[in-house]
Amino acid sequence: MQHLDPDRLVLLALSEELEDLSESDHLTQCDVCRHEMRALREVAGIGSDVQALRDLPPPPEHVWQAIEAGIARAPAPVAPVVDIRQQRARRSRPRWLTPVLAAAAAAVLAVAGTVAVDRFTGRAPAEEVTARATLTPLKTVPPNAGGDVRVLSDGQLRIDVRNLPLTTGFHEVWLLDPDDPGKMVALGNLSDQPDAVLPVPPGTDLKRYRLVDVSDEPHDGDATHSGRSLLRGTLTG
Amino acid sequence: MSSDDELAERLRDGDETALRMAYDRHGAAVLYLAQRLLGNRADAEDVTQMTFVAAWTGRDGFDPQRGSVLGWLLGIARRKAVDRLRSMAREQRTTATVQAQQPPPEPDRTPEQTVDRLVVADELSRLPVEQRRTLELAFFDDLTHPQIAAVTGLPLGTVKSHIRRGMANLRRRWEVDGATFGSRSAGPTRAL
Repeated sequence: MQHLDPDRLVLLALSEELEDLSESDHLTQCDVCRHEMRALREVAGIGSDVQALRDLPPPPEHVWQAIEAGIARAPAPVAPVVDIRQQRARRSRPRWLTPVLAAAAAAVLAVAGTVAVDRFTGRAPAEEVTARATLTPLKTVPPNAGGDVRVLSDGQLRIDVRNLPLTTGFHEVWLLDPDDPGKMVALGNLSDQPDAVLPVPPGTDLKRYRLVDVSDEPHDGDATHSGRSLLRGTLTG
Repeated sequence: MSSDDELAERLRDGDETALRMAYDRHGAAVLYLAQRLLGNRADAEDVTQMTFVAAWTGRDGFDPQRGSVLGWLLGIARRKAVDRLRSMAREQRTTATVQAQQPPPEPDRTPEQTVDRLVVADELSRLPVEQRRTLELAFFDDLTHPQIAAVTGLPLGTVKSHIRRGMANLRRRWEVDGATFGSRSAGPTRAL
């Protein structure tokens, strides 16, 4: 079967000329040409309808400024320490492991919660401080944000933060190994409190995991670091 | 002006100036779509902002094999606008006083048709000058091929081939990026 000439199809699609009888017959019989014709007609219809879109006004500059601000708040982990996002993207964890880790994280949080309650309802702390750190904001975070960390001789880490940016998720505390990007220990979250006491897992080498990191974590069920670090500081003993 | 492919590559490499370029090139279309979907300028600007921020953070997920930068951005913008409409609806339920909202936006065209138009308009603007000019005369001025030949001084055969090639380019782009093509090709869902 001889298909219709492509130029002719375009003419028909643009309704510039009318189908003659043999063309109409062909179009009723031939799926290929009919499909072709329908697509061309549709494109021609859309094409005739786009004149108003040709000269859209340029997008406003203040929206661009909002985009820039949004990007600054968003990810982009900060040199020189850890490029966690890349680590995270590359690391593919076995599917079965995620619930296990989530359960482990939940256990850690449960313990942290209990401990925190104990601390605040209990006696005044008199423990010895074995290491401390001053937390400073990363450059995408308002400069008045900050915090202090003390590690106590009983293995608890006391953290005070101030002026953290609001989050729709939660703030999580980590100990990072600055020499080995991607290696880190999750300590627990701040539960909207300006201070918290979190247990450091026994046996954690604080000479190695000496970089305290507070991150903004979304509620995405992903137990790994979001890559959005807000505060950091190095523990010194 | 660099090509779409180059723009995409620079975006994926984390080049922030590429995002600015994408905004200059496609921000107006994103804003237009958002405004058609949401019916008010302030929300449309918010959605435009969220779209480009999401495009930046999700730039690793952009696959040039599957569509153009504009098609990708419009897809993000649609999702963001739908999210916004849902949360507006929620707010409306809780504070039933906000009824002085806008009338339902875009009574005349579906979101899919708006995406189709933006994509085709973009492709039209990228065609070689003579292809574009002949198609504009056919589409907007409703001129016949011989009339176009007379207006432009091009031979009739050249006019025909410009139009055929131009139509083929628009169609390819629409099939790749258009919102309605998927449903349309799956079955005769739309009357002509």
